[in-house]
Amino acid sequence: MRYLRATLVATAAFAFLANTALAEPKTNLLHQWATGSDAQAIAKLGEMFEAKGGKWQQTSIAGHTANTLAKLRADVIAGNAPPAVQLKGPEIAEWNKTGMTADLDDLAKAENWEKVVAPELLPVMKPSGKWVAAPMNIHRINWIWASPKVMQAAGVTEVPKTWAEFNAACDKIVASGKICISHSTADWTDSTVFEVVVYGQDLDLYRKAFVEGNVDAMRSDGMVKAFEQFRIMTSKYMDPGMNGRDWDSMSALVGRGEAAFHIMGDWTIGLLTAAGFKEGTDYVCAQAPTDWGKPGFILNSDSVVFFQQKDPDYVEGQKLLASTILSPEFQTVFNQAKGSIPARLDVDLSKGFNPCQQKSQKDLQASIEAGTLVRSMAHNMTIPQKVRGAIMDTITEFVATPNMSAKDAANAMADAAEAQE
Amino acid sequence: MSIHDLSVPIAVPARSWRDRLGSIVPILVLAPSLAASFVYVFVFTGWTLYLSLSDSTLLPSYGFAGLDNYVSLWSNRRWNIAYTNLFLFSGFYIVGSMAVGLLLAILIDQRVRGEAVWRTIFLYPLAVSFIVTGTVWSWLYNPVDGIQALVRGLGWSDFSFALTSDRNHAIYAVIITGVWQSSGFAMALFLAGLRSVDPDLVKAAQIDGASVVRTYRKVILPTIAPIFLAVAVIQIQFAIKTFDLVAALTRGGPGISTTFPAIYVYDLMFQRGEIGEGAAAAVMMLAALAVVLVPYSLWVVWRRRAEAGNG
Amino acid sequence: MAERAAAIDLEAAAASRRHFWSRFAIYGLLTVFAAVYLIPLFVVVFNSFREQAEIARDGLISLPRTFRLEAWAQAWSTYCIAGTCQGMQRNFLNSLWMTIPATIISTLLGAVNGYVLSKWRFKGSEVLFTLMLLGVFMPGQIALMPWAFVLGKLGLTNSTYGLILVHVVQGISFTTLFCRNYYVGIPDDLIKAARIDGAGFWRIFWKIIMPLSPPILIVTVIWQFTGIWNEYLFGVVFTSGQAQPITAALVALTASGTTARSYDVMSAAVLIGALPPLLIYLFGGKYFVRGLTQGAIK
Repeated sequence: MRYLRATLVATAAFAFLANTALAEPKTNLLHQWATGSDAQAIAKLGEMFEAKGGKWQQTSIAGHTANTLAKLRADVIAGNAPPAVQLKGPEIAEWNKTGMTADLDDLAKAENWEKVVAPELLPVMKPSGKWVAAPMNIHRINWIWASPKVMQAAGVTEVPKTWAEFNAACDKIVASGKICISHSTADWTDSTVFEVVVYGQDLDLYRKAFVEGNVDAMRSDGMVKAFEQFRIMTSKYMDPGMNGRDWDSMSALVGRGEAAFHIMGDWTIGLLTAAGFKEGTDYVCAQAPTDWGKPGFILNSDSVVFFQQKDPDYVEGQKLLASTILSPEFQTVFNQAKGSIPARLDVDLSKGFNPCQQKSQKDLQASIEAGTLVRSMAHNMTIPQKVRGAIMDTITEFVATPNMSAKDAANAMADAAEAQE
Repeated sequence: MSIHDLSVPIAVPARSWRDRLGSIVPILVLAPSLAASFVYVFVFTGWTLYLSLSDSTLLPSYGFAGLDNYVSLWSNRRWNIAYTNLFLFSGFYIVGSMAVGLLLAILIDQRVRGEAVWRTIFLYPLAVSFIVTGTVWSWLYNPVDGIQALVRGLGWSDFSFALTSDRNHAIYAVIITGVWQSSGFAMALFLAGLRSVDPDLVKAAQIDGASVVRTYRKVILPTIAPIFLAVAVIQIQFAIKTFDLVAALTRGGPGISTTFPAIYVYDLMFQRGEIGEGAAAAVMMLAALAVVLVPYSLWVVWRRRAEAGNG
Repeated sequence: MAERAAAIDLEAAAASRRHFWSRFAIYGLLTVFAAVYLIPLFVVVFNSFREQAEIARDGLISLPRTFRLEAWAQAWSTYCIAGTCQGMQRNFLNSLWMTIPATIISTLLGAVNGYVLSKWRFKGSEVLFTLMLLGVFMPGQIALMPWAFVLGKLGLTNSTYGLILVHVVQGISFTTLFCRNYYVGIPDDLIKAARIDGAGFWRIFWKIIMPLSPPILIVTVIWQFTGIWNEYLFGVVFTSGQAQPITAALVALTASGTTARSYDVMSAAVLIGALPPLLIYLFGGKYFVRGLTQGAIK
């Protein structure tokens, strides 16, 4: 008995010493994945973090991204920046400029991130040459989800590869009495489809207008042409139900065989799977039309940015969290749930991933080789928010205003972007 | 008679030391609230005003940028639409909820049975947050699942009720929902007013042979005129703060047709990281308020003087 | 007058007919309006008892074919929001812990302020009152960042206390306004008599003002409780993780996620989130109108 008590005391004392001597890694991740499969995916991150000895906390803020950013700004102004925040694209660079972000270079070197992370992501994750963010995934935007049943019934034999083919297919489908493009109008959905059109028609125009934010490119004839194609799509191929439809019911229209096509990023996989639709029979996926005959890839990536902390526990926690996020195990589990593919190029997708995800990874490699890989404007990976917001306002206004001409739209977009400078 | 009433101050003839001590207590009691309100109203507003003249973007910064933010703001189409919407919405919303509220109050005032039940039915939307109201109404407006689908399902196949999906009419969807939510409040105030009208006045009018409509028009409504103003002032502050309702109902769409200043301020400050321009937009919101409040305050002061002159 | 007397029988008959039709019109109109006011509530209540599959099949507006309480149970205790699958129960309690103290404190401060501003006026008190009134009109978005700064300096970020402070300060304007306008109606002679009897500031407040106050206190409590309970922006920005109020959970539930919506759970959640203020209006509605009659607008 006495022996037992002595052991207990010794153990307790040791535990106490261990606690004071070593920082106990902890974190609090601020993110906007509040419900459903997103929340489950992030819960996995928490489990892995805890399994590695960390103390996990999260703050998830639903709805508009503005809510997350409002929270971040309020915390920074209040003087306690959160240790880890889900932020993306140009925002990483903007916050990096404030000098408040943490430096992950040591960890990156030790774990050799430079070699394994997709090269297109490097300038985003290290805006001033130092790693400040850890990428969680790569989403592909330029997907077209198609219903084989609807295509077959209308006499369309394969998913269209160019925009001319696309229009021809749509004419047949509309004639057969089905919806050609399943859509739900909102600034980001309208902009998603529109950027896929611009990219598919003219790769250079996409880079100039949407990656560099060049105003002359927005005013150019190429942009007018893109708006003309977009007008054909919104007026002839989309149904009036696109107003007021919930965005997450768009993919179901394809799955149920009520619409032929749906142009949207790969998170659609999660929605289709959750609704019980099967790849191959209920839907097929293909690269959205391009007129330049090469594999193409519009990329979007979620990432976590780290802010400097005073509490050594949080500092330790940041290292542990970044390392967990970039681990092949997490990248696998997280992306299987979310429909995207790992930000690491060295993860094997042959098991547990959807065929569309496997195709995504192949196309990513191919587009890197072909020099056609771009980042997404609509999903906030390129130009600053204010310019992006002005552009997206114009696009969604174009959709909502049937008598706005393509030329007026291109000019309005250029004017709106110019006003932000 | 309005929310800004006045009574005769108490004259205290003799001033002993105790009275003097006593006269400090009220000020001491009031001081914390006053200080808090002062900081809240003036320091916060002043800070926003200064930010609107600064070069703040991602975080507040204090470099002076003159009127740049205002120029940039007014050159933006979306802001122009938002500002127009504010006036359009405020006008229809206030008139609409006052009209409905007054009608309901008059109906209930006709000695109806089950008054408490009617009153509760019309008042309950006030208890519900704009977020809930907006969410539920967006289901009803939904052309595929909502009222339109229901009526079409009953046989009227060309029935059309798709306000939220039509850029020219979406603003009316916001107005209708707003009126639904707050006309009960107007009703409660009007009902309170109708009940406070001197019954002898009404009786006198009836003896003179005035019809019900005429009695209301000529006798009752004029006596409760100040209540119209009280309702309007309270509704105006709801209108200008419209944020949750639009956010939940239309998210500013279709297109940018239902953007409101409050949404725009929030977007600029937080989503787009343009704190300076967002502050400028906020100042313009306050300016819109001032357009209403300044004449109101002047009217209150004028009336007080007039009363003092008469009394 | 003579004509009237002659035609009195005819007129009585006509009057009774008119009376019938006017009654008919009154109740008819009231019923139509009541239907419009109640439909949204019925839609939500019905949907909370329907199965998601049934909603997807028959549309959002339809009578329930099934009756199940599962959606309520899910929304309350098992639905996954913000990474934890415990439903809204925690957020519901958070909201209570925030709303109740904030309502009580702001109401008491309003009562004392209203008492001073109506019965203990001093030079400039009218001006101060007008200035305090301006607080009623401040749009929340303007105050967001200054509040963040203040709460940071006070060390009250991410805490319910911070939110209580914010709501008390923002509420003072309204409660003061209501109480002052009510107390103005209390005869000054009462106060004068009490002072001649030697009663001081607090004694008069507790012995004379407070016993006369219930009608207006009910109005301010209802007003503040609903306003604070339903507030979203500050709640979501100034608290984190498990400390967020119910509106944050509601928005999380209804706003999005990349998964399909479950309207049944959403409906139940909406009702749970709206229940406390609804109950307050249901039971206090009568006093609300009465209090307004007697005071706030007079």
